[in-house]
Amino acid sequence: MVTPESVRQGIEGGLACEHMELAGDGQHFEALVVSRAFEGRSRVQRHQLVYAALGERMREEIHALSMRCLTPDEWRAAQAQHG
Amino acid sequence: MDVQQLIKEQVSAHPVVLYMKGTPQFPQCGFSQLATQVLHACGVNEFFSVNVLENPDIRQGIKDFANWPTIPQLYVAGEFVGGSDIVKEMYQSGELQKLLAEKLGKQPA
Repeated sequence: MVTPESVRQGIEGGLACEHMELAGDGQHFEALVVSRAFEGRSRVQRHQLVYAALGERMREEIHALSMRCLTPDEWRAAQAQHG
Repeated sequence: MDVQQLIKEQVSAHPVVLYMKGTPQFPQCGFSQLATQVLHACGVNEFFSVNVLENPDIRQGIKDFANWPTIPQLYVAGEFVGGSDIVKEMYQSGELQKLLAEKLGKQPA
């Protein structure tokens, strides 16, 4: 059984993150990933960075991972917006 | 035919292509259903879809094609747009409607 914590560690192991929120039931996971590495990159490229950090686990263990990938600036703006 | 070549031909031949689990009428995964619903909401009712559950070679091959490990995958005018999260975000921000209008010459719904 894959835990949200192990998915978090997998992402953090390959990508420097400012902030991460991860929830999941063992098969389906939802993540908010905030990283400077996303600056200047498209949505597709950002997701690819997270997938690359998870490597083969993404193909074999994790059925589904929903993601929001934000830069630190975007994250702060989103927080300000939602109070 | 080589599966990479087949995929290239599919995404080149059709303006909108969705690789999904199930069919637009009967999606077999919530994420594929979401992508279908977003396309419909954008006014794209007719699009070329590939049910990867019936095509194991494409199911694997499409992951290598876009360097993207999950399904669904949306292609517009031969270019990979994203999976269900990205498609949903782009719809909510209006970017997807704009992209479809630009590439298909359609007015945004």
